[in-house]
Amino acid sequence: MLDFGKKITELVSNILGRSTIDKDAIEELIKGLQRILLQADVDVKLVYELSNNIRNRCFKEKIPTGFTLREHVTKVVYEELVGLLGKEKSDISDKRRIMLLGLYGVGKTTTAGKLARYFQKKGKRPALIACDYHRPAATEQLKQIANQLNVPIHIDDERNPYNAVKEGIKRFEKSDVIIIDTAGRDTLDKELSQELKKLGEIAKPDEVLLVIPADLGRVAGQQAAEFNKLVGITGVIVTKMDGTARGGAALSSCYATGAKVKFLGVGEKLDQLEQYDPVRFVSRMLGMGDLQTLMEKIKESELKEEDAKRIISGKFTLKDFYDQIAGMQKMGPLSGIMEMIPGLSTTLPEEIVHMQEEKLKKYKYIIDSMTKEERENPEIIHASRVKRIAKGAGVQEKDVRDLLKQYELTKKVIKKVGGTASLKRGQLAKLAKKFGLKF
Amino acid sequence: MFDFLKKKLNSVVSKIAEKVKGKEKVEREKKIKETREKKPSFAEKIIKKITEIEITEKTLDEVFEEMEIELLQADVAVEVIEKIKADMKKNLVGKNIKKSKLEQEIRESLRKTLYDAVNTPKIDLEEIVKNAKKNGKPALLVFLGFNGAGKTTTLAKVANWFLSKKYTCVFAAGDSFRAASIEQLEEHANKLKINIIKHQYGADPAAVIFDAVKHAQAKNIDVVLADTAGRAHTNKNLMDQLEKIVRVNKPDLKILVLDSMTGNDIINQCRMFDQSVGVDAIILTKNDVSNKGGSIISAAYVLKKPILFLGNGQEYKDLEEYRPEKIVNNLI
Repeated sequence: MLDFGKKITELVSNILGRSTIDKDAIEELIKGLQRILLQADVDVKLVYELSNNIRNRCFKEKIPTGFTLREHVTKVVYEELVGLLGKEKSDISDKRRIMLLGLYGVGKTTTAGKLARYFQKKGKRPALIACDYHRPAATEQLKQIANQLNVPIHIDDERNPYNAVKEGIKRFEKSDVIIIDTAGRDTLDKELSQELKKLGEIAKPDEVLLVIPADLGRVAGQQAAEFNKLVGITGVIVTKMDGTARGGAALSSCYATGAKVKFLGVGEKLDQLEQYDPVRFVSRMLGMGDLQTLMEKIKESELKEEDAKRIISGKFTLKDFYDQIAGMQKMGPLSGIMEMIPGLSTTLPEEIVHMQEEKLKKYKYIIDSMTKEERENPEIIHASRVKRIAKGAGVQEKDVRDLLKQYELTKKVIKKVGGTASLKRGQLAKLAKKFGLKF
Repeated sequence: MFDFLKKKLNSVVSKIAEKVKGKEKVEREKKIKETREKKPSFAEKIIKKITEIEITEKTLDEVFEEMEIELLQADVAVEVIEKIKADMKKNLVGKNIKKSKLEQEIRESLRKTLYDAVNTPKIDLEEIVKNAKKNGKPALLVFLGFNGAGKTTTLAKVANWFLSKKYTCVFAAGDSFRAASIEQLEEHANKLKINIIKHQYGADPAAVIFDAVKHAQAKNIDVVLADTAGRAHTNKNLMDQLEKIVRVNKPDLKILVLDSMTGNDIINQCRMFDQSVGVDAIILTKNDVSNKGGSIISAAYVLKKPILFLGNGQEYKDLEEYRPEKIVNNLI
C-alpha cells in the first residue's frame, strides 16, 4: 500500500513538476496511472473508465479561475481517485446484527473477532455466533478468540448453522451487537449459496459485510457481484493489508456492487482493524500524510500528543525511542505510524522497524539501569558509564552501545524528515485547503 | 489491398509487354513466365514487399495491446506481462511475416513464450522419499505461505496422495500461533488416520517439527508433513522464525502454497519467501474457482520452480497433477 501511494506521488510530481504541461504530459500521466492501478489489481474496465474521465475533464472542462492547468490536473486526478475509492466514510457503530461472508481463507473468523474487539473498545457489548460448521475446527477457532476477548459466543451443539443463528439471536437479545461468522468454500457453490441465503433470511442482518483479502486478483468483482446477488452486501472489509498487496480488488468489489469499504485488516492481532476513510486513504496515497490518523493511533498507543509533536519537531529522547518501539510492538509494524507523518515514508533502518522482542526487553533493562541524566542526555554516556549500565542491566557492553547506535540512527532520520516535513507542510496545507481537507 | 496489388502487378506486366513486339513479344512473355516460376522477379519482389512486413517494435506494440488486456484480465501480473512482451520482442522484431498472418504469428509466439514459462522443471516426490529412506531418514516436507492460502488443507491432501501410494505419514503441527490451527490439523489427522505431533500454542515450531522427525525415525514412518503458521512476507520476525525452522530441521522440500486467486501480489509473495528461506516447489490452491489461472503463469515465471500440484476442490482427492499445456490452453 505504501509503495502504491509512493508510486502515484512520484508519477504525479514527476510529470506535474515539469516547466510546461501539455497534452502529451497528461497522456503520459494517464498511462502511468493506468499501469500503477493495474498492478494494484484494479479491474481493467474500471481503469479505462477512470483514465477516460481524467482525459475528458483535463481537456474539456473549463479551468476554474485562479487555477493553473497544473493545479487543475492535480485536482482532477485527486478527485477521480477519491471517487474511485468511495466518497463518504461510513459508520457501522449503530448496527445490531452483522453477518460476515467470504470464501475460504480470506480471514472471516479473525475479522469476526476483530469486529467484536472494535465494538468492545467503543464501550459496547458484542456477542458472536459461530455458523461455520464446514471447515475443520472453525468453531474452535472462534471460541478461542471469544475467550481471549471475553466475549460471549454461541455454538450449536448439533452443528446446525440455522439453529445456531436462531438460538444465538434469542440468547444474545441483551447484547448491543451480534456478529455472525459464516462458512466459506473455495468458490461460491450451490451448497454455500443455499446456506447463506437461508441464514440471511433467518438472521435478518442490518449489515452484511463481504470479507476479501488485499491480494485478491481480478476475480474480485465477479465474486462480489455473486455474493451481492445472493444476500445483498452492504459493505466490504479488506484483510491482509499488512502484506505488500495494494488492495485494488476492493475497488473492483465496490464497483461491482455499489457497496463501500468499511474496514481494513492491518495485522494478525485482534486490535489491528482500522476504520476505512476514503479521503484519508487517498491523501495518504498521494503522500500528503495523514495527521488525523496519526493522532488517533498515538492516543491508542497511550502516547501523549505533546510527546508526538515533540518527536516530530526533532526533540527525541532515549525514553521516546523506547516508548516508540515498545508501542509499535503492541500496535504492529512501526511503518504504520511513520507512514502517516508527512514525508516520513523515508524508511527507517530495517532493524528498528522489526525489533525482536528479546532485544526489546534488553533495551528496557538497559534504559532502566541509566540515571535520569543519562536518559535525557545520552551523549554523556562513555566507556565507564557503559560498563556500569551493562552490569546493572545484566547485558553485554556491546548491547548498550548497540542501543545507543540505534537511537542515534532513529533520531537522525526523524530530524531529517521532521525538517522537510515542516517545509512541505506549508504547500501541502495550501493544497489540502483547496480540497477541503483539514490539516 | 488485393485490388491495389492486382493493378500494380498488371501495370508492371503491361509495361514490360509494351516494350516487346512480334515474335519477340511472345518469346519474351514466355521467358518471363518461366523465370517467374523459377526465381523471384521484380514483380514478385513487389508482391513480397506489399504482403509481407518486417515486424518492428511499433507493430508488435499495436497488435499486442489486445492480448495484453486478455492477460491482465486473466490475472497475469503486470511485471510478468512486460517480461513476456520483452521475450517476444526478442524473437519477433526484425522477422518478415505475411501481413495476413501477423496476428496469428504473434499469438503463436505468445503461446510458445507462455508455454516456456509454465513448463517448469519436474520433481519426483516419490524419489525424494526413497532417497531420504536410503539415508535412514523420513522425508521432511515443510509447507509455507501467506495467511489463508490453504496450507493446512493442502497438507492433508498431499498426505492423502502419499497414503494412496502406500507410504506412511505423520503431521507436525508447526502452526502454534493461529487460534484452533492445531485442532484443525488434528481433525484432518483423525480423518486420514495418521498421527500428529503437537506442542502447546505459542511453542517453538522448529522444536515441534524436530520432534515429529524424531518420532518418524523411531517408528519408521516415510514422510513428515509439517504445517507452519501463515505469515505476511513483510513480517521480519515471522520470516526469521521460518528461517530457524529450516536451519534446525533441514527439510527435503520447502513447498510454497499460493492462492491461485491472488493478483499482482503473487510475485512479491514468491520472491520474498524464496529470498528468506528458499522455495523448492509450489502448490497453487483453489483452482476450481472461475479464474483463468494467470497467477500460475506469474508464479512459474518468477520462481521457475517445479509446480507439484494444483488444488481444485474441497475433498482430499481434489489435487491435480500439474500439466503446463492445460494452463496455456485455458488462457489463450
